[in-house]
Amino acid sequence: MSDTQLLVGPFNRVEGDLEIRLDVAEGRVRAAYVNSPLFRGFERMLLGKGAMDALTITPRICGICSISQSAAAARALAQAGGIVPAPEGEKVAALLHMVENQADHMTHFNLFFMPDFARGTYAGRRWHGRAVARFTAMQGSALHGALEARARLLHIVGMLGGKWPHTLAIQPGGVTRAPSLRDKLRMQASLRAFRAYLEDEMFGAPLEAFVALESVAALEAWGTGDVALFLEIAADLDLALMGRGAGRYLSYGAYPTAAGPVFARGIWAEGALGVFDPALIAEDLSHAWMLGEAAHPDKGQTVPDEAMRDPGYSWCKAPRLGGLGYETGALARQVVDGHPLARALASEGSVRARIVGRLLEIARTQLVMEAMLAGIDPAARFMADWTAPRDGVGEGLVEAARGALGHWCRIEKGRIASWQIIAPTTWNFSPRDAGGVPGPLEAALVGAEVQPGEDTPIAVQHIVRSFDPCMVCTVH
Amino acid sequence: MHPKGDIEGGPAVSQIETFYDVMRRQGITRRSFMKYCSLTAAALGLSPAMVPRIAHAMETKPRTPVIWVHGLECTCCSESFIRSAHPLAKDVVLSMISLDYDDTLMAAAGHAAEAAFEETIAKYRGNYILAVEGNPPLNEDGMFCITGGKPFVEKLRHAAKDAKAIISWGACASYGCVQAAKPNPTQATPVHKVITDKPIIKVPGCPPIAEVMTGVITYMLTFDRLPELDRQGRPAMFYGQRIHDKCYRRPHFDAGQFVEAWDDENARKGYCLYKMGCKGPTTYNACSTVRWNEGVSFPIQSGHGCIGCSEDGFWDQGSFYNRVTDLTQFGVEANADKVGMAAAGVVGGAVAVHAAVSALKAAQKKTQTQTSKEEA
Repeated sequence: MSDTQLLVGPFNRVEGDLEIRLDVAEGRVRAAYVNSPLFRGFERMLLGKGAMDALTITPRICGICSISQSAAAARALAQAGGIVPAPEGEKVAALLHMVENQADHMTHFNLFFMPDFARGTYAGRRWHGRAVARFTAMQGSALHGALEARARLLHIVGMLGGKWPHTLAIQPGGVTRAPSLRDKLRMQASLRAFRAYLEDEMFGAPLEAFVALESVAALEAWGTGDVALFLEIAADLDLALMGRGAGRYLSYGAYPTAAGPVFARGIWAEGALGVFDPALIAEDLSHAWMLGEAAHPDKGQTVPDEAMRDPGYSWCKAPRLGGLGYETGALARQVVDGHPLARALASEGSVRARIVGRLLEIARTQLVMEAMLAGIDPAARFMADWTAPRDGVGEGLVEAARGALGHWCRIEKGRIASWQIIAPTTWNFSPRDAGGVPGPLEAALVGAEVQPGEDTPIAVQHIVRSFDPCMVCTVH
Repeated sequence: MHPKGDIEGGPAVSQIETFYDVMRRQGITRRSFMKYCSLTAAALGLSPAMVPRIAHAMETKPRTPVIWVHGLECTCCSESFIRSAHPLAKDVVLSMISLDYDDTLMAAAGHAAEAAFEETIAKYRGNYILAVEGNPPLNEDGMFCITGGKPFVEKLRHAAKDAKAIISWGACASYGCVQAAKPNPTQATPVHKVITDKPIIKVPGCPPIAEVMTGVITYMLTFDRLPELDRQGRPAMFYGQRIHDKCYRRPHFDAGQFVEAWDDENARKGYCLYKMGCKGPTTYNACSTVRWNEGVSFPIQSGHGCIGCSEDGFWDQGSFYNRVTDLTQFGVEANADKVGMAAAGVVGGAVAVHAAVSALKAAQKKTQTQTSKEEA
């Protein structure tokens, strides 16, 4: 096949809109250009509003990661106002956030990622019949169980947060809801039901056994549940070689508690752990339809270039840390946190590694949630005394399901003077920077197979979905 | 080239297929089906005598296809919908409407998806319901939301042209929601300002409650018409009363017992959140009765005031934590229509505005008259 260009999109089973331009040569992707075609301008509409309004407005960037947005906004405001959240309130906030992230991982695996293997393209593979029965989009037998388990898990958010999506309970000083002993028991029942689902259907074995895996060989020997079906497919289609990243990972540290984050903060590069310094973040605008210079989000601006001039090709800015792009997400968190299986997959950085990173995190997080809920003291204070910040700057760094999410704010006379957001998919799906270096997805797509006649190459779809993109957050 | 296998989950097989056929094909038992009919009647506030009618309609009527499109939005409406309370209701509704085209959940991607979209429109011309999540941004010729290489507003107009009726899901499609907040950088515009020649039902809320979504869609599929709407075009059965009217903390409001600070003694006692900025007194929605996440709770129950997310312009009313100061004492019985009338009476000129809400109102009135006749 001679050199051709493909314009791929819109993508389905991806949150929001996405378009990718592919240069194809000899049946492989030679270069990829990722465009996030949806811009709403949240950073602009926040300007001049009351500081606390950010708690209501920023979650509405995304109906899937709304608690992550709310947690980041609350932390940014807390720092701007010198507010220290009540420790028990912090635990409840962490619990709310973990439930949302678990629900997102579930949705990704069952509704977004696995249905691709039920496609006709794969008819004839020995696992195809099982994939069809279990994961056909909107019909497969796994979907019913997954949606039901997810809805029941979200009871916890209902109880603690009043509603989901767009929960309002997380505030700079803690949470608005002090759970009673009765609430605690009901939530423990919800968690038990979720564990039963995970152990019966998804993993087909005790979660502790999956968490105990330490090597790729042990992983490949896993033989139960939907996880086994995935691993069988991964082996057959060489998903371990597909969509490989640069092996650079970033985690802001997930679920802050008085004792530090549940999953550690840091970076992983060149096969070694490093310290994460938020001051080294800069958003490059060279290939975005945005006006202005590259800047740290403290000084950042969001001024869309309405002429959509070249070489811009996306509304997405290009965040870089110390000049380098980083991949973020469940795999990154688990690698940085030091889980042996994740570390074993760090250099592989493939479609398979990203999915396994998520599965590992589902299992580990369930154990953390059980312990954290058990440790909540209903008699304690869940909200510290605080008043809304008048003047100050704040940085709210959290981990959404899809990775590192940061809010940077400046408050003047009680009003928002600046509010900049870098979402996980902004990192993962960033366009090129001034040096012409592609973003993580753009790099991971290079080398992907394009079969004759394919206008939406299946390999490209697997790679894109392995990042679990959230396009509405990306540009916001 | 579109490999055939890529359109799985696409349009259903036969034109004369009924809802019941589809459900049975999806493995839903007769018993579950009857249970669903009773649940639906209850959720819609219909008498038990209506149950056989719903069942009969679903057994004999051809399935109404639904096209679900997404503009500028956050997908919270879909998220709410797929977690609707009764798993059965969700299954049934999902299988019933089959979401002939839904760009978030469907199997097909890229050109195959666009083909499925066109095919559904062509096959069911004039007969499908268009469900819109999000809204079109009109600035710069719609370039802020491009799907399939075209501005979303074009896709919306195209799909609306042959639709029987339109559902505006959520605050985005109904009113604009936060992306329309000042200065509204993209000129995000609600659906009814772009499509003016079709009956539109608004189901506001950010997001709407799942049960409200399934209830509305079931009503439309079963009775083949819009439910009774209030003056703002919202289904009266769910948006007829204020949160405040049915709030379990209402006695504390009446007794003058208020939360003064987050997590204070009064908060633990469950006092009224009015002073914390609760917008329950001016918000029409079913949160305090239907509640959220399978009836578990709702924002006020979690200790946070209502922000009024089902009301037009809720995002630009000053701080969400300021107390409502324009609260006029309408009785508990007042509904949006009466309040609307009373307000119009005071303002005078506003009556003309109400009267001039375009051709769509006329269409809705016709439907409503029909409704009351048939249900009488």
